[in-house]
Amino acid sequence: MSDRNTYQVPFIVSIAILIACFFVNISLGSVSIPLEDVFNSLIGSSTQQDTWQHIIINYRLPKALTAIIVGSGLGISGLLMQTLFRNPLAGPFVLGISSGASLGVALVILGSGLFGGVFATLFVSKWGLVIAASSGSFLVLLAVLMVSIKIRDTMAILIIGLMFASITAAIVSVLSYFGSAEELQQYIFWGFGSLGNLSWEDLFILFVIYSLGIFMSIVSIKPLNTLLLGENYAKSLGLDIKTSRLIIIIATSLLAGTITAFAGPIAFIGLAIPHITRQVFNTSNHKVLLPAVFIFGAMVMLVCDTIAQLPNSDFTLPINAITSLVGAPVVIWLLVRKRKMVF
Amino acid sequence: MKNSILLILIFLLVSCKSEPNKQFIESDTVHSLALKYAKGFSVVDYKTFKVLEIKNPWPQAKKSYRYVLISHENAAKTSFMKDEYDAIILTPIEKIVVTSTTHLPALELLHVEQTLVGFPGTDFISSENIRLRVENKRIRELGKNESLNTEILLELNPNVVIGFGIDGNNRSLETIKKSGIPVIFNGDWVEHSPLAKAEWIKFFGALYNKQKVADSIFNSIEKEYLKAKDIAKNAKIKPTVLSGAMHNDIWYLPNGTSTEAQLLEDAYVNYLWNDTEGSGSLQLNFESVYVKAKDADIWLSPSNYSSMENLKNANEHHAMFKAFQNKNVYSFTNTTGNSGGVLYYELGMTRPDMVLKDLIKICHPELLEHYEPIFFKRLE
Repeated sequence: MSDRNTYQVPFIVSIAILIACFFVNISLGSVSIPLEDVFNSLIGSSTQQDTWQHIIINYRLPKALTAIIVGSGLGISGLLMQTLFRNPLAGPFVLGISSGASLGVALVILGSGLFGGVFATLFVSKWGLVIAASSGSFLVLLAVLMVSIKIRDTMAILIIGLMFASITAAIVSVLSYFGSAEELQQYIFWGFGSLGNLSWEDLFILFVIYSLGIFMSIVSIKPLNTLLLGENYAKSLGLDIKTSRLIIIIATSLLAGTITAFAGPIAFIGLAIPHITRQVFNTSNHKVLLPAVFIFGAMVMLVCDTIAQLPNSDFTLPINAITSLVGAPVVIWLLVRKRKMVF
Repeated sequence: MKNSILLILIFLLVSCKSEPNKQFIESDTVHSLALKYAKGFSVVDYKTFKVLEIKNPWPQAKKSYRYVLISHENAAKTSFMKDEYDAIILTPIEKIVVTSTTHLPALELLHVEQTLVGFPGTDFISSENIRLRVENKRIRELGKNESLNTEILLELNPNVVIGFGIDGNNRSLETIKKSGIPVIFNGDWVEHSPLAKAEWIKFFGALYNKQKVADSIFNSIEKEYLKAKDIAKNAKIKPTVLSGAMHNDIWYLPNGTSTEAQLLEDAYVNYLWNDTEGSGSLQLNFESVYVKAKDADIWLSPSNYSSMENLKNANEHHAMFKAFQNKNVYSFTNTTGNSGGVLYYELGMTRPDMVLKDLIKICHPELLEHYEPIFFKRLE
């Protein structure tokens, strides 16, 4: 009850800011569209120019929704990893999930020439990259899971995740060495990350898997809070560590795996958002943190996307550069100001 | 006694310095190679030897490179201050290694392709003639431009390696230079106009002592180009043209001062970004491209997408353009050699006249009724 009172105001304020960010994101872009027409497009009325309606409905709106999904999804998976491994440096990338995705994408793009056959056909198909990235992250996760059954120490799993990341990075560099200029270019473009590449159909599929991940995270709130006390203590409280760990890892891989598959490896958000949220809300209770990370992740991603679009200019920047440029100084500033890490 | 020893020593030193060979000085100028468009190199002929200067091997190059081109016979009679030149190259070249497919058409046009002994990435070669030599093992595979197989290259021991650099850093070329094989950086790609790029055939002409042949080849390319340009001016309408395509969120397209844009200008079309300036390509936001080019008549070179389906799969927004809906999308990616090398990348730079005619045929088909495009094909 006291929690509700303490956090009611910050929650209301941040939801209001999130909604504002959403509308600002939709109204700003290379083409300046009057607010009235932005609104008319959203409610389906006619606009002064047909092109504007297409831009709002089929480009900016899916992009803004993708930003919300990407920001909140990566933020939550970062939070889950940091709590599970009790390590402030953990994030969705640490378990090798994103490296697995990169490997899948590299095999399809760079390996199509080398292996031909299946890879070449995958490359042509619309779902090539998505299937490759998802299966890549899933396979790496499966390997980590199998190891985690044998090894009980979460730190060891963390290190094994990092080792998997190194192995996949090595395979990617071998593939890059043999890849053609066009293939390398394609792989690098994927690495820039992008939010504006999703059609409504893609977005629907992303949303379904994302919702499943979010649902599993909500289910894990209690175990997460217990885990903060340490595994032995959690066990003495009657928590089934193995099952909880499995659910948390699957939730992370669903969230980070699909997001990476659709939007590319978006750096920084997964690691930084939980820290920013903890600094603002000053709590480690996941009942508060989980929804707060959701809101902050979505908010930061919308802001980053708005900046990346360089409103009113014809140019645009890769989203990956902006997430790091905008986010990292914020975390540094918060830490310097508070002088310690809330964890 | 001491003095006499000193005298003997001085005498010995002086006699060592006296040169058996005549040392040439550059003031003996006979004439410079006439270049109409190219600015990146020069060749000055001093009767018994030539000095080749590469002024702009890569954008914003800080220094120029000077090479002496001299015949075997004259080399025996001449000595040069080695420090003044980057290399002394014996001509005509008997064994050469080039590193870009764009260097190949010049060798073929000058009928010296039999001197090519090695190439990095032989699969990219489209020319049937040179492909045959690859298959007959007359041309060795050298790996990649950025990391040439040094051992094979040293074994081949060519008279010269024609490299190219994005900047001055190419470690494998440095290693080759150190082992005594001269490396010349070819800067044809830095030139600012299609004809200037094509004029680099004269650079190869100088290496093979075939200046006159190179001149006449270039003159006919220039003549054909200017003739095509004149024909294009007769067009009654100037179609609007869109170019490039999206990779993720960003639409990459040639800027208005690029050679691609100049070719479009000469083909008498309205390239929608011809008012832009700058080096490299433009990176635009989908929104701005969409608003400007939604109704463009023709879409040329949609990046490396090779079919309409690929183009649509890569990004659904591609299908929103009128040119896409009317299937007016043309690309050179599907015109390849037997092992997949794109012909345009190999031949396009040396033969801008052919590229221009292709563009005119696409944009004003009535002007070149019997012409069959060489590089560009409509995307299926």
